[in-house]
Amino acid sequence: MKTTQSVGGYLLSSLMSCLVYSWGIGLALSLTMMALVFMSTNVHAEMNDDMALDKIHSLAEVKSGQLVFRTEDGHYLASPQLNTEVAIEINGLLARVTVSQTFTNPSAQWQEGLYVFPLPETAAVDHLRMKVGERIIEGDIKAKKQAREIYQQAKNEGKQASIVEQQRPNMFTTSVANIPPKDSITVVIEYQQMVSQDGNEFSLRFPMAITPRYIPGTPIANRHEISHFNGSGWAVNTDQVADASHITPPVLVTESATSNQVTLSILLAAGFDLAQVNSAYHQVEEELVNDSTRKIRLMDNVPANRDFELVWQASDQQAPQAALFKQHKNGEDYVMLMLTPPNKLNIESISRELIFIIDTSGSMDGTSIKQAKAALQYGLSQLRPQDSFNIIRFSDDVASLFRQAQLASRVNLHTAYDYVAGLRADGGTEMAPALKLALHAEQYTEGLRQVVFLTDGSVGNEDELFTIIEQDLGKSRLFTVGIGSAPNSHFMQRAAQFGRGSHSYIGSEDEVRQKMQTLFNKLSHPVLTDLKLELEDSSGVEIWPKTVADLYLGEPLLLTLKAATLADEIVINGVYGNQPWQKKVMLQGGGQSQAVSVLWARRKISALMDEYRRSNSDDSKAEIVEIALKHHLVSKFTSLVAVDKTPVRPVAEKLNTQAIAVNPPKGNTLTQFPQTATAATLQFIIGLILFLSGLILRWRQE
Amino acid sequence: MKRRSGHYLSLLLLSISIGLLSSGGYIHAKAQLAQWLIASAWSQSKVNNKQAKPWPWADTWPIARLEVPEYNIDQYVLAGSTGESLAFGPGYVFASAAPTEQGNTIIAAHRDTHFEFLQELQKGDVITLHNAMGRQRDYSVQDMTIVDKQDVSWLDNQAYSHQLTLVTCYPFNAIQVGGRLRYVVRAVSLEDISA
Repeated sequence: MKTTQSVGGYLLSSLMSCLVYSWGIGLALSLTMMALVFMSTNVHAEMNDDMALDKIHSLAEVKSGQLVFRTEDGHYLASPQLNTEVAIEINGLLARVTVSQTFTNPSAQWQEGLYVFPLPETAAVDHLRMKVGERIIEGDIKAKKQAREIYQQAKNEGKQASIVEQQRPNMFTTSVANIPPKDSITVVIEYQQMVSQDGNEFSLRFPMAITPRYIPGTPIANRHEISHFNGSGWAVNTDQVADASHITPPVLVTESATSNQVTLSILLAAGFDLAQVNSAYHQVEEELVNDSTRKIRLMDNVPANRDFELVWQASDQQAPQAALFKQHKNGEDYVMLMLTPPNKLNIESISRELIFIIDTSGSMDGTSIKQAKAALQYGLSQLRPQDSFNIIRFSDDVASLFRQAQLASRVNLHTAYDYVAGLRADGGTEMAPALKLALHAEQYTEGLRQVVFLTDGSVGNEDELFTIIEQDLGKSRLFTVGIGSAPNSHFMQRAAQFGRGSHSYIGSEDEVRQKMQTLFNKLSHPVLTDLKLELEDSSGVEIWPKTVADLYLGEPLLLTLKAATLADEIVINGVYGNQPWQKKVMLQGGGQSQAVSVLWARRKISALMDEYRRSNSDDSKAEIVEIALKHHLVSKFTSLVAVDKTPVRPVAEKLNTQAIAVNPPKGNTLTQFPQTATAATLQFIIGLILFLSGLILRWRQE
Repeated sequence: MKRRSGHYLSLLLLSISIGLLSSGGYIHAKAQLAQWLIASAWSQSKVNNKQAKPWPWADTWPIARLEVPEYNIDQYVLAGSTGESLAFGPGYVFASAAPTEQGNTIIAAHRDTHFEFLQELQKGDVITLHNAMGRQRDYSVQDMTIVDKQDVSWLDNQAYSHQLTLVTCYPFNAIQVGGRLRYVVRAVSLEDISA
């Protein structure tokens, strides 16, 4: 018994020492390795671009805005180039925009091109045409995946094809397959858009600013491929691209006047006498057609690096107070109604009540609470003497500065500033009682009531809170201000939606002033609130968005609706300042426009996308696909695809498949997963077995 | 004589066993220690914006940083998924999308060293990836699957979302090396989920 114990102890201790020993060897080796590294003078070897070059002998020779990509064998080739032609027709409040993108392939090989470009967030992209030589091929709307497959198949079969896909609501891509050597393909995209109106001023923006550059990939099989991360000579360019786009193309991009040219022309038929037409950032040529119509052209072709904005004003009292457009399509009526609220409202005389809720829970500690306090202080500074206010703070408990809202007198404000200065972040996040306290006090208020809620939203009981907001809101409006580096944006946005207010987000202390200024401008100029629509004798009515948002100074009321049978009139009820407001609009007459159904569908898709974002449900996705297919619209789930029936590229000839850096470089595709286990365990086990046998052998001999 | 040969045999066995044990230990030590060296190369490459090799004869360089705070994971990802780079850190698969960029980024590592933690990962866990230019992206784990090593067809390299795929050998505590199965964790950028 004693012997076994001692043997066991011996074994164990030998084992331990052996393990320690083996780790010791490893450690010693590694330390030596480390020492070598530290002593070595040229630690950080650079990669040399010593590849054989074909057409372009070195990147240093590229002087103009030539885009190049590297091929598998390390050669450089000139990549396709892109020219964009934009034609905008503005008719009253509607704009139809045609964007023609011509992809030219200067190389001697077949190429595929991909272009990432921005469009306005509200753009309803409904047409795609591909021009190949003299022929024009119309694009079809398909579910996104199906469209991809159609494109992919056409590409593989050597057919010319193009596809327009939505990446973000304001970011699209065009891919064009099989651009013949030394030839070009033109892709024409059309979209419908509303003109934005602010009082007497109208504007339209054509975005060009987010790196709308042609982006070729780099099918390189060697290890130099990786140099687009931080390789020598490429760093500056990739840095530039990194700033501009979320896609970092591993290409040399030099800014110059010759790359990605844009020509732009506008026919502006305002529908009223024009007082002034301005282009904010570009030089334009203006041709007067008549009092209400202008032809506008960009003075020079410009590189696509700055948003184009056209602003026009109506001459006195000429701006339309109301506009009605209708469309009858597939047995249904579509209506678009624009109304300008009376803007003679003297807001100065209207008092309002502002309730600030500030989150002082532990999660707000540090910079968050500083930002929140700065934002609150800014809010206090914006109060007018006739306004009343209160501050509610919460963590584990809830407390308010005053029992009920007080006038913003000097004394009260002074007390408030002191109170804010003394706030500390500590404890839990009991949000519900704070919200209830803020919303229930409504009964004591006359006039406008705005609740500004400063929080990082780190709560788990969102649904309970939404219910409180929905039920207790009354005539209050809830504006959420997200604080800190990672606020719960889902909660913020949705709370603001239930609260019929808006959401803003402060990311750093520098932003406090600017963001709060924007918010308070809005808060101090509400015009029409509590808008509701009445449509008598209508059936099958669908209005999107479902709730009409409050209108602030300068904003027109814009409604799009669909009805199976349309009533003769629509009644709009609301609160104007603090008076009830009503407007009846006759729905007979009005202008006819093909754009109405498309705009209605686009707004419905936006609303459904909000729903989809919240629920992630397949139902809302299916609904989006259905509506987008019906109205021929590009969406997150649908794409436009055009395929030429005749194959042009002999399948034996290689297509330089290149797109964003996403594409696996040919010859370097993953054919199987790497080997990902070491022999360490096996070695340990065999080692131990041998060790034990060795020991036993020795022990038996003694 | 018999006694003598037995003595030699036991000595032989003991020395082989020590060799094996230290070799096994070395694999682990290397995996741990190399990360320190890589860390300094990483900060160098960030400063100079150049590829910095962790040691002069290295055939790889750090191109990304992988963090999973929940499991105390903070690792430097090396370029390439060859045995050489995998000994020192997780390896970025060249044929996949650049780290943090659009597409599917694939990173592989050994199941018994760097990616041992994969077996702990749960759906919804957040993985953070930094690229050499300081760009950061958070991914949320979507699913975990076990596949054959040659079954790579389902990898969506053309993805328009930002995906991250972590790969290691399966089963985790198998003794034998060179099994056919792989454990694959797929994650999607939080931005894409909320967009």
